[in-house]
Formats: sequence, C-alpha cells, structure tokens
Amino acid sequence: MPLTETGLKQPVKASAADMLKININPVPDDQKVEAAIKHLNELGQKFRSLMLTFESCVKCGACAENCHTYLGTRDPYNIPANRADLLRKVYKRYFTPEGRFFPRLIGAKDLELEDLEKMFSYFYQCNECRRCALVCPFGLDTCEVTMAGRQLLHWLGMVPKLHAAVGAAMAKTGNHTGLTKAGIVDTCEFLEEEIMDETGVEIKIPVDQPADILYIPSSADFLLNPNTMTGAAKFFHYLGVKWTISSEITEAGNFGLLFDQRATLRANCMRVIDEALKLGVKKIVWGECGHGWRAGKMYLPGMLDRPGRIPIVHIHDEVRYYIEKGALKLHKEVNSRPVTLHDPCNFGRACNMCDTLRVVMNACVTNFVEMTPNRERNFCCGGGSAILFDDPEMYDLRIKFSAKKAEQVRETGVGKNGDGILCAPCSICKAQLYPMVEEHELGVEVKGLIDLVGLALYPPLNK
Amino acid sequence: MTYFILQILPYISVSVLIIGLLYRMGRWASGRIVHNITLTPAPTTQAGALLDIAAEVVFFKSLYKADKSLWSGGWIMHVALFSILGGHIMGIGLLGLQFYYIGLTSEHTSEYLSNLLGTSFGVVVLLALLYLLYRRMAINEVKQLSAPSDYLHLLMLIAIVTVGNIMRFVPEWGIHYEPVRDYVANLLTFTPITPDMEVMHKPLFVLHLLLVQILMIYLPFSKLLHIPGMFAHRWIINRPYVEPAPGMPGVAVGGTGHAVSGGQSASGGVQ
Repeated sequence: MPLTETGLKQPVKASAADMLKININPVPDDQKVEAAIKHLNELGQKFRSLMLTFESCVKCGACAENCHTYLGTRDPYNIPANRADLLRKVYKRYFTPEGRFFPRLIGAKDLELEDLEKMFSYFYQCNECRRCALVCPFGLDTCEVTMAGRQLLHWLGMVPKLHAAVGAAMAKTGNHTGLTKAGIVDTCEFLEEEIMDETGVEIKIPVDQPADILYIPSSADFLLNPNTMTGAAKFFHYLGVKWTISSEITEAGNFGLLFDQRATLRANCMRVIDEALKLGVKKIVWGECGHGWRAGKMYLPGMLDRPGRIPIVHIHDEVRYYIEKGALKLHKEVNSRPVTLHDPCNFGRACNMCDTLRVVMNACVTNFVEMTPNRERNFCCGGGSAILFDDPEMYDLRIKFSAKKAEQVRETGVGKNGDGILCAPCSICKAQLYPMVEEHELGVEVKGLIDLVGLALYPPLNK
Repeated sequence: MTYFILQILPYISVSVLIIGLLYRMGRWASGRIVHNITLTPAPTTQAGALLDIAAEVVFFKSLYKADKSLWSGGWIMHVALFSILGGHIMGIGLLGLQFYYIGLTSEHTSEYLSNLLGTSFGVVVLLALLYLLYRRMAINEVKQLSAPSDYLHLLMLIAIVTVGNIMRFVPEWGIHYEPVRDYVANLLTFTPITPDMEVMHKPLFVLHLLLVQILMIYLPFSKLLHIPGMFAHRWIINRPYVEPAPGMPGVAVGGTGHAVSGGQSASGGVQ
C-alpha cells in the first residue's frame, strides 16, 4: 500500500538484517496493522499507566507550551497530547466501548499502515523527557505512550538504524560503540598517559581486575568524553579504593529503555549483575548517563530474573557522600570559568538527583550560575532518548529541539566572553550539545560534572 | 415522557454510572504498575505523597505552576461545580437550612444564604465554562487537539447550568426545595410518584434532570473519566521516594551509596 502522507520526517530505518541482529523478524507490511492492534492490546492491558493516559486525558493543552519539541518546531504532532493521540485514537477505536460505537465523535480512528509510519516519525521525535508529565494536571505521562509506541514499532520491526545498531553492538561487545577488550585496554592506557601529562600523577584505569568496586562508564567516555573517564579514575584513585571497569560491560546506557523494554532492557540489566558477580565486587558504581541511570535505578530492580545482592549507586551520589564527609580536598579555584548546569531530564524528573548535582557543583567550581527554569522544571537538551540522528533532516530537527536549551544558556550569560562551561552530566546530553552549542553559537564548552571533579581533585600542572 | 424521565430513567442512569465506573476502574486495576515511574523530586513518606496528591486534587498545583490562565478557568469551574453539587445535597436534603442547623444563622437567613450561594456559583460556573469553551476554540493548540466530543462536553455542562440558572432567576419556572425533596425521597424508597406531584409540572426541572441523567450515562464512556483517573494516575506517579524503592524485588539501588549498602563502605575498608 503506497503511503499518502508526505513530508514525514523519519530517521533511517534498520534493515531486516539489522533487525535480525536484535532478534526481531520484521512483520511484513500486509500483516503489520493486525499485529499492531494485537500488541497494543497487550501493552494497554499490562501497563496501568498507559491505559490511564489513554483514557483520562481531557485535551486541555497545558502540555503544548511546555514541550521543547513543540516550542522548537511548532509541528502540531509534537504537542505531547497530540503525539499520544497517535496511539490513543487507535486504542480507543478498538478497545473502548465509546470508540467502537462513536469513533468520529470522540476522535478515534482505524489503524492504517500510514499511521504506523507517522508513529515511527513522531515517537522518535519525542525525547521522553517527561516535562509534560510534570505539568499535566493529572500527571499523565506521555513518555509512557512514547515508550509503548516504540515497543510496538520494535515488535513490528520498525526501529531506527541507530538504535538497532546500538542494540546489536551492546549484545555483542557490552558497549554501544563496539569496543573490544583490546580496544578498551588500549584506550585506558592512552588515557592514563593523558592523566600523567596533565597532572603528573600516575593513575591507573584497571580493566577486568579483581576489585571492590565495579565502575560502569558510558562507552562514549572512551571516545567523546575522555575527561569524564579520567575524572572518575582520579576520584577512585584519590579515595584509594580497589576499582575496575569490566570489558564485558563498559556501558552505563541501556537502549532497552528507549526502544524495547522487554528483552533488551532485561538483557542489559542482567549483564551488569552477571559481570559484578563474576568479578566478585562489593558495589557497582554507575557512570554519568541519564537514561542509563534511570534504567539502572528505577527499572533494573523489577527487571532482574533473580535477586541481585550487590548494591548499585551513582558516582555523583558517591562524590556527594565523600564531599559531605569532608574526605575530598577540592581545588575549586581551578574551575574559575563561569559554569551553568543543565539538569539531565532523567536525573531531575526520574531519579531525584538535582540536589546532589548542586552539592558536587558548588564544591568544584567558583562561578556557578543557575539557568532558568532549572531542576525538575528544566528543558531537555533535545537529544533525550538518543534521537541523535545524523541524516540532514533529523539533524535539523535536533537543532530545533535544542532551541529552548540555547535560549536558557544564553540567558545565564556564562558564554558571553566565549569561555563559559555548560555542564551536562549525561552522555546523551553531551553528544547532543557538543554540536548544538556550535550551531547556536553559545560560546560555551560542554563538560561533564565528573570532569570538573577530576580537575578540582588533581589540578593540571600548567595551571 | 415526563413520567419516564422522572420515574424510570433515574434508576437506569444511576446504574449505568455505577456499573460503568466500576467496569472502567476494574480495567485499570487489572493493569499493573510495572515500573517505578515516580516523578521526582518526591516526598520520602507515604503521608507526604498523599499530601502532594491532595494538593493536586484540591488546588491543581501542577497546572497552577504550568499555565495560570487555564488554571483560573479550570480551577474556578471545578470548585464552583463541586460547590453546586454540594449545594444540591444541602438544599434538597436540608431544605437550605444547613447554616441554621450548625447554629450560624436563623432559619430565614440560612435559606437566604443558600439561595444566594447557589445563584452566585451558578453564574460563576457558567462564566468559567464559557471561558473554557472560548479557550478551546481560540487557542490554536487546544483547537488542534479537540475532538467533537470535547466541545460537546462543555456544551452539555453549559446547557445544564443555563437551565439551572433560568430556574433560579425566573421564580415561576423554578421549583422549591420541598417538592424536590419529596420526589427524591420517593425515588430512594422506591415509592411510585403520583401525577399530582409538583415536579411533574415543571418542564425546566424535567429538562434539567434529563440533561444531568444523560451526562451520568455517558460519563463512564468519556474523558470525564479523568475524575477517578486523576487519583489513579497520581497514585502511580506521586509516590514516596524511598531508597531502595519499596515493594521491588531484588537489588538495592539508590542515592547515597552508603545508605543503600547499610552504612558499609564498599571501598574495601579504605574509607
């Protein structure tokens, strides 16, 4: 059936071969609608939050002006309630009495193939940031609808190439970038030399060593954000603890949360626990990654197949603990450039970490400027849920999604002399903001929070 | 027809309302809270979480922070509507003597106050509803979201309120508390109503009652489900935030690591 809808912006889809690598056999087009309805029913029956969001929305529109994707694009389908309606209309048509008998009246509609294409477009334009849940009078969570929608599309075999590739790489190597053990060891040695050159201190990054602490870095920290990796190394070295990273799981992120909350989410959770058991560690410390920590903190306990007995904490919470204990001597004068903090959505609205970020920040820098709104009312960077697509059309959308963030950063004035720092303690935020601060000419450098901790613990020699 | 509306329909509409609501809420209850999707920052105690939910229900706190104009229209409309519902119970049940019974005023003043409050809230709710209707048509985003039923819900409430207001303002078309009380008593005791009862001869009263009953019948099959839906969804999303999360199997995950690991440092005795 030809698609009549034109102008839909979609990320590149994974091919059938790509999908097989993440254990999905795509449903042929002529069976998609039927399969989708069946899966939608299963999802609706399972998730109470989803059914409530389908049945209780009054279409008041309070979410519209509070969604950065709508503010950036003014595309009506980016109004959260309207985005949810893509799925809600279909759900109501098939699974509620009012939709069965009066579809036109209540705005319910039959599912057609092109609706699925539309969902693929708009559910992958949602950042799953949950700002709409925060402002909704009933707390209805459009993120739950986006997640259900993406799950449905995943089962049909419709996943962006980016997400499918990351899923496959994760299953194969234990990280998103496909780094092998040799590559990891190599990079760590390189980073050790970097630390040596920078600070004159010999700091090791142990790989697969017997240890008390298993550190789960984001794999982007080896390539894109090396200072976050070295920052963590400096922190553990300073404490003098026995720590290690594992070549089997060098990934704090969990794309299962973003496109498949069953098999992929569970497999990634189990991978962490299995590796911790194998290494015999006493504690797992999670690295700087927003959605990954949401998955690790909020989803992992319910996803495990057996009791996990090794406590899991986040490195920011650890740093805060030692700061409050007075165990860290932080040379905050090293970080004297103006800094503003971008609260990652998953930390602010899902993991209760706003206070922690500020305790750490204030201990490490001398010139901290809050942006407005901040904390749980912060706007997303526009990269949330890893919609970091590079094809020109989607990249253009990313620039639009980050417009609100750019406005916020500009208002703080930290970048007016071109030497500001935008602290974004989340790998996806960083990956989104590195190009975006250039696109919007903000005059700031993007850094992680642990980067700043590392600098303050071991000041660079040339400072 | 009048007989049908006054004698038979009430039993149907109340049954549909109750059974319909139970059906919808039963469906909700059969779904699970699969993941911990607490919206943070959240309080750390159950009492705190209930207080949060109460603030949302009574003051529409989130909406107040997000959209002041919608909050004004929405909150005033709901408060006025809720007061009017309460007023109906007081007026019909206690004949407007509620203030007298609690010892605040004389009988006469109580009835006067009761009438005054009813009339005022009737006007207020009408104005608020008209604002909400205007908003739905005037603001582009809301217009794009609206299905025909979204307008019809507002028009239905406007119709009910308008008929009620006319009964207030034109005394000969209105009705006093006593005949209505007798009628309700008959319904409650399953006593047949008789043709000479005053309610049978007040067309506007019959119309008012008919519209309300239609509303009751479609309520469980419409977005008006947001009334129980709000409590049900807030229950999922406004939970006490405790580390590790309660009621979850397996591993302890949480904020300050040392609280999670029972005060034990994992750093191998170094710290």
